[in-house]
Formats: sequence, C-alpha cells, structure tokens
Amino acid sequence: MEALISLVLRNNKIFRRDKTHVFFSLLSVIIVIVLYAVFLQKMQVDAIEQLTEATPELITMVNEWLVAGLLSMIAVSTTLGAYGIAVKDQESKVQADFLTAPLSRATIQLSYVLNAFIIGCIFSFIALLGCEIFIVTTGGKILSFGDFIQVLSILFLSVLLASVFNLFLSLFVSTQNAFSTLGTIVGTLLGFLCGVYVPLGALPSFAQHIIMYFPISHTTLLLRNAFMESSIANVFDGVPVSYVEDYKMNYGIVYELNGHILSSTTSLIVIVCTIVVLSLASMILFKRKYN
Amino acid sequence: MTFAIKVENLCKQYGEQQAVKGISFTVEQGTLFAFLGENGAGKSTTIEILCTLLKKSSGQVTINGFTLDASNGNADIRKSIGVVFQQSLLDERLTVRENILHRGKTYGLSKAQLTDNYQFVSTYLHLEDIEEKKYGTLSGGQKRRADIARALIHRPSILFLDEPTTGLDPQTRQFVWQAIKQLQRETNMTVFLTTHYMEEAAVAHQVTVLKQGKIVAQGTPDALKTKYAYDSMALVFQNAQEGVKFLEENAISYTENQGIYTIRLTSTLQALPLLKKAEPLIASFEVIKGSMDDVFLHIMAEEEVA
Repeated sequence: MEALISLVLRNNKIFRRDKTHVFFSLLSVIIVIVLYAVFLQKMQVDAIEQLTEATPELITMVNEWLVAGLLSMIAVSTTLGAYGIAVKDQESKVQADFLTAPLSRATIQLSYVLNAFIIGCIFSFIALLGCEIFIVTTGGKILSFGDFIQVLSILFLSVLLASVFNLFLSLFVSTQNAFSTLGTIVGTLLGFLCGVYVPLGALPSFAQHIIMYFPISHTTLLLRNAFMESSIANVFDGVPVSYVEDYKMNYGIVYELNGHILSSTTSLIVIVCTIVVLSLASMILFKRKYN
Repeated sequence: MTFAIKVENLCKQYGEQQAVKGISFTVEQGTLFAFLGENGAGKSTTIEILCTLLKKSSGQVTINGFTLDASNGNADIRKSIGVVFQQSLLDERLTVRENILHRGKTYGLSKAQLTDNYQFVSTYLHLEDIEEKKYGTLSGGQKRRADIARALIHRPSILFLDEPTTGLDPQTRQFVWQAIKQLQRETNMTVFLTTHYMEEAAVAHQVTVLKQGKIVAQGTPDALKTKYAYDSMALVFQNAQEGVKFLEENAISYTENQGIYTIRLTSTLQALPLLKKAEPLIASFEVIKGSMDDVFLHIMAEEEVA
C-alpha cells in the first residue's frame, strides 16, 4: 500500500512539474474558450433571440452551456495527459527499474490509473471554481449549495469515466510518438463528440446518433442540465414548451433517441455501465499485453 | 563456502534464436564477479534474468538462497538485490533525494529505516552537493552516483551493474569504479558486473567470459592471465642486422614489425639477463606485462579458430 501511494505521488509530481505537458493536455479546452469568445457564444445568442427577447440571463444561460462542455472535456484531456507518464515509463524502461523492486506490474499500472483520477479531480475542481468566477463576474448567479454538490458528483463520475476510458486507449499504445498522436485525435474528436465545438442540432442525423451513443457526451449532458436548469426556466418564461424542447435538443441538453427522450437516469446508467465494461476490458487487455 | 548466486544450465530462447545456451556458474558471497563478452554475447540477457526482469527458458537459478521464479513474484529476491542499469532511469524532474526516497518506499521499509539507509548512501556516494538538484540537470557522473545510490537504498546484499562505466569520461569512470570497489570491500557486498573495460575485470575476484551465449573461459584474473596472456619484451636495435644475429645466435624466437622485435617471456624477470647481454646493441626497449586485454583477445581469437 505504501509502495502504491509512493508511486502515485511520484507520478503526480512528474505530471505537475512538466509545464508544457500540462499546457498541451489543456489545449483542446483552450481552443474551446477561444472558439466561444470568437463566435460560438454569439451564434447561440442570435438563435435564441428569435424566440425570446435578449436579457442578461440569456447570456448567463449560454455561458453555463459553455462551462458544462468545458468541464466535461477537461476531465478527459487531463486524465489522458496523465497517462503520458505510463507510456514514457514503458518506453524509457523506467518500469524495468520499478520491477527490480518487489512491485507487481498490476500495482505499477494501478498507480497510473489512480494518478490520472487524482489529476482529473484536481483540474476539474480548479476549473469548476474558475467557471463559477466567470459566471458570477459576467452577471450570473452562483450555484446553490445543492446544485454545487450535484455538479461535484457528476464531475467525480465523469473523471472516473475519463480515467477508465483513457486507460483503455493508452493500453493500445507503447511509444510516446503514438501517444501524442492519440492525444491529438482524442483532443480533436472530443470537442465534436461532446457537442461543444458545434451544437448537436447543427449536425446531420447520423453524427447526432454517434454523439448520443458516445458515453462521455452523457456527462456533458448531465452537467448542462445541472448548470442550466434554473436559467432555462427564467429565460424561456412564457415561450411555448415545444420551442424550449427544440432548443434543448438542438444544444444537447436532452437527447431524443428513436423517438424517446432519454432521462437523466438513462445517462447515469450509460456512464456507470461504460465504466464497468471498460474496466473489465482494460484488465483483459493488460493481462494479454504482459503475458 | 556460501554462494550468493548459483546458475545451472541456464537457457534463454527468443523464438528461433538461442541467446543463452546452457551456462552454469557460481558467485561466492562478498566477491566481485565480472562478466565479460562482446556485444550480443548474452551478458545483458543473463543479467536481466538474474534481476527477475526476464523469464528464463530453462535452467536453475538460486539467488541469496531463493529459487528464481519459485513463487510470490520473486519478492524475496528483489528485496535482496539492487540493480544499476546501463541507461539512467531516474526521473528528470525530481530531485536526487526525491527520486531515491520515492523508489526506496517501494521496498516496504519503515520510515526510520529509510531515513537511515538514505543517510548511508548519501554519505557513501557524496550526494550532499547534488541531492537537492533536479536529476535532469546533473552531469553524467553525478547521475551515475545517484543511480548507484538508488540501487543501494534498501541495502541489498547483491549489487548488479550492467556496464556501469560505459560512456563516462575517464575521471568519472575512475570515481565510480573506486566507489564500487570500496563498497564491495567495506560492506562485504556481492557485486556482479558486466563491463567492456579489461582493467576493471582485472581487479575482480572471478571473471567469466561469454561468447555467443556460451561460457568460453572462467577463473580468477591471475589464472586466466597465466593461461591466455604472456609477458613480452619489445626491442629496437641500433643496428637491425646485428640484432637479428644476436637473437639467432642465442636461439631466441621473435616477431618483427617495423623494426620492433618482440620476444615472448615466461616472466618479466627473464628480461634482465637478456638485456644485460644485449646492452651494447639496444637502442630502446619495453617490457610488457600480460594484461586482461590479451586474455580477452586471445580467448576470442582462439574460439574463432575452434
């Protein structure tokens, strides 16, 4: 146990001290912020203005939409970045040094997973505080205590999902070159697959289906619900329900799959099942890789 | 006599290719054991098997009384060995102290013991001036000191070193080598090393020469020298014709190369009477003691013919 903790602390220090590595694992998030500042925000506000009159609450609601997407992406990009240490250790034979100590491969691997989870939690929490400051300074209301706890729980789950998801991907990779390619692919696809770069409704239906089946997008969906619930009620006060439903579907706040509106419980089940399945798959893959 | 390492009929197969072909040897406790061989002879493969990093194909290995690959993932063996690799494998962004303590904690030592051990290795390898520096900023020799300290943090009874001085400048090489020797003497640790440098092998207690996965010679450096190396004398005469005449008159066999006549001696002392006798003819001379280089070259050449 002490050995495991020591390994996790070591991984953690290495990740935090590599500033360029940290920067690159946040790159996709930075891109979102830039896109948002340049046009995503305006596009959305313009669209909603046609339904109801523009109020400061509208801006806040759209900001909350961004924040939800951002937080779900941070969980994935930072945990993936953390697995870079595992790949580097393997390629540079540092793992051989660990293996001359009384450690099993499984313990070493577990230390990378725990580190990824911790890094994800730390960055998500810092990002959440940053997002709250952003929302409050742009005229929005701070999350109520209940909502804050709800958001934290969803973040916890989304970091867990991201840790397992990236563990699974990283097991296919054994060189740093391949890993940085993986990072680029994940970073690019993620913004689309979570419906952050382009709103869901703007995509053709097959792409919408892909997003709805992509488990990580369900964490985005849950976060959007938690952040936007009261703003939506305020902004769309007096607007016909069908318009509100349209907005929610177009911006990925609810999913309608095969004529059914998916409930939050469904999203939770999708997330938990994915965590279980990917964990098992990773264990099998890990055993195969080292036997 | 207690053995730190006992290897019987060790084989390692990589697919079709056999890297180690049934080697057997023993390493006595508290001795310095040198493993020699050309690149690709199977040295690294053998050392990796002994360090529990690579699975053997067949054979019996006992390390510190524990049978290799017996059970519990070789934990007993791993606790009792330290390994210095060819490459530097500590973390560049951590300080020397952080590196050593983090890895030390993986051996399940108590806090007090770890602190004690750290104190020991730090004094031994003079880490005072580098322990707070980031490993990545150190010079080659400083890195090596840290590497050795890391390998010793759990006070193992056997230290494995895979070409520990390769790629170091002569001064650093000297320092590292002195540290290893001193450590071996003072702590009575068993040291198992592979090296390319014959002068390092010359001070070992036991030398084993590996070629193409097989042991081609083993023994003490003296025994090997007696068998494979000889002392010689090189002469340059004032007048080559007179010199040759002298050698032939005294029935001394020689080889000639660019005016230098080399004579094989049974011992360096044999040179004295010869020099006295030939003194007026000699322009210059050199008496050459048989070295481990000769041993190595002769063994390799001999096997080539065989």
